[in-house]
Amino acid sequence: MASSLTVPQAIQELKIAQARGHRDSNEIVRKGLFVLEQKNGLKMLGEDVWDFLEQMAVAALDIGQLELADDCIQRLAEQFPKSPRVEVLQGQRIEAKDLDMAIKYYETLLDADETNVAAWKRLISVLRQQNKMDRCISELTEFLDTFYSDLEGWLELADIYASVNLYTRSLQALSHALLLAPQNPFHTLHFAETAYTANDIPLAIRYFLRTTELCGDDSRGVARRAWFGVRLCTKHLTLHPDSPSESATKPMSTSSLNALGELATERLLAAYSSTSEKAVVPGRKEVLKLLGGSGTSR
Amino acid sequence: MAGESLYLDPQIRDWVLFPITLVMILVGILRNNVVQLLASSPKKQSRKATREQRALLRSQILRNTAKASPLPPSFFEAHTNELVTAFQEGKYLSKPIEVDENGNKIAPNPTSMLTDPAAMEGMMGNMKNQMVMMVPQMIIMGWINFFFQGFVLIKLPFPLTLGFKSMLQRGIDTPDMDVRWVSSLSWYFLNWFGLNGLYRVLLGSDNAATDKRDLASSPFATTGAAPAAGPNQDFNKIFIGESESLQIAEGIYKWAGEGIEERILRKYGKIPA
Repeated sequence: MASSLTVPQAIQELKIAQARGHRDSNEIVRKGLFVLEQKNGLKMLGEDVWDFLEQMAVAALDIGQLELADDCIQRLAEQFPKSPRVEVLQGQRIEAKDLDMAIKYYETLLDADETNVAAWKRLISVLRQQNKMDRCISELTEFLDTFYSDLEGWLELADIYASVNLYTRSLQALSHALLLAPQNPFHTLHFAETAYTANDIPLAIRYFLRTTELCGDDSRGVARRAWFGVRLCTKHLTLHPDSPSESATKPMSTSSLNALGELATERLLAAYSSTSEKAVVPGRKEVLKLLGGSGTSR
Repeated sequence: MAGESLYLDPQIRDWVLFPITLVMILVGILRNNVVQLLASSPKKQSRKATREQRALLRSQILRNTAKASPLPPSFFEAHTNELVTAFQEGKYLSKPIEVDENGNKIAPNPTSMLTDPAAMEGMMGNMKNQMVMMVPQMIIMGWINFFFQGFVLIKLPFPLTLGFKSMLQRGIDTPDMDVRWVSSLSWYFLNWFGLNGLYRVLLGSDNAATDKRDLASSPFATTGAAPAAGPNQDFNKIFIGESESLQIAEGIYKWAGEGIEERILRKYGKIPA
């Protein structure tokens, strides 16, 4: 496989991976090493060589190839002394050794420049790795209070809250993410599922429906998952019409609920049917069982 | 026509027309480099100043999405109330509100341009840039006026109305000459405003030679235009205004999840449209 790879091709693929933020570190290191092994590999990178080294350093750290990472970081540090980006890379190298030391390192960086976003984010992530949730949450809230528009930050906060079973708090963090990216069905689905977990079913069903609406006619991936959610919610709401709703969401009428339940069943059946006769969509049997089992109780 | 009888020495083309154009292009490129050298690295904003600005953004996002808000009513209300109280109490201000002896709030003095060192620095930067823009232009203009005053350089290949006379024949006062003849000083002005496209090709789109301040920095425009959105805004006033806008936005608030069951059922034909 490696023999079919050419240098320009490898460089191109690395660039794509970088632009999209793929975390495919093994592949990145493999391709990166391939480029490095060529005689004029680094020259062919031209001006992009520094971006390439940064990408390699992070990927190498990710899969534990510390020597490779050291090499990359050293070259970057020689070229760009005192660059904040390199400083953060060096911090990540320290993280690989000793988390406590990394925290101290990031704290000194932040003391020198209180607006060093990258260092602040790393500090928060180290705190989370160390399971110091109190300080992690307070740092992250302060970070988000300052840099409100950081979408990933809000998602991370929601995730942290969910990991300590504070689903209502998680919902609040997600609501900020929804405000920042109202067009993204993934966040809507996330909100719906968190609401479902927080036992706010009337709210959840509306967000599951909103997800399917945002997805348009597509019934794969996010939308299919959302239809499952709708199915679960309608079933729950028909069985327990007075489900509590912390957000005081109005319950839907019984006729709408029934119609929605039927619609969700129909959509899911359609999603798990194939046009050709022989091929069976994987999971079809289980889905039929689920739909049939709950269908009788309706 | 009088203009037809005019014959231009080809030496004028070689020694006046082309040199003026060439000098202007080269000066533009030089200016781009000088501005890059002079540019001080962008100043870092303090955490508090960032927070102040992002808070404004936050309220604007909340306000602008209110018509089809992704937030359910209880969440929207909580967000709005939190922001409104924070704004009215000045929690997001980078400089705290001063209180006089009676306990009344004094709005922080919109920091005077001349006392705030940060503002001074920004002003110095602007002035340096403007000098770099103006000085070469003035020198070139003087050069042209001194050596080539009253020269007719070029004949435009298309007819024009008399209205263009003052634009194209600056520096020569002949009432009868055809408007198509262009004088040296006018050629300079045409180049000055017309070379922007070329600079953009040569130097990239965000170069300093073509910048949008070109008109402002011309000696003819008044340079008194104050920077519209500087760091010296009175954020307290803006925040109070925002909090009022937020309360208005509450009136037009509509949840995207409102009536969604009907929308979906109608979409799939389960209830008549």
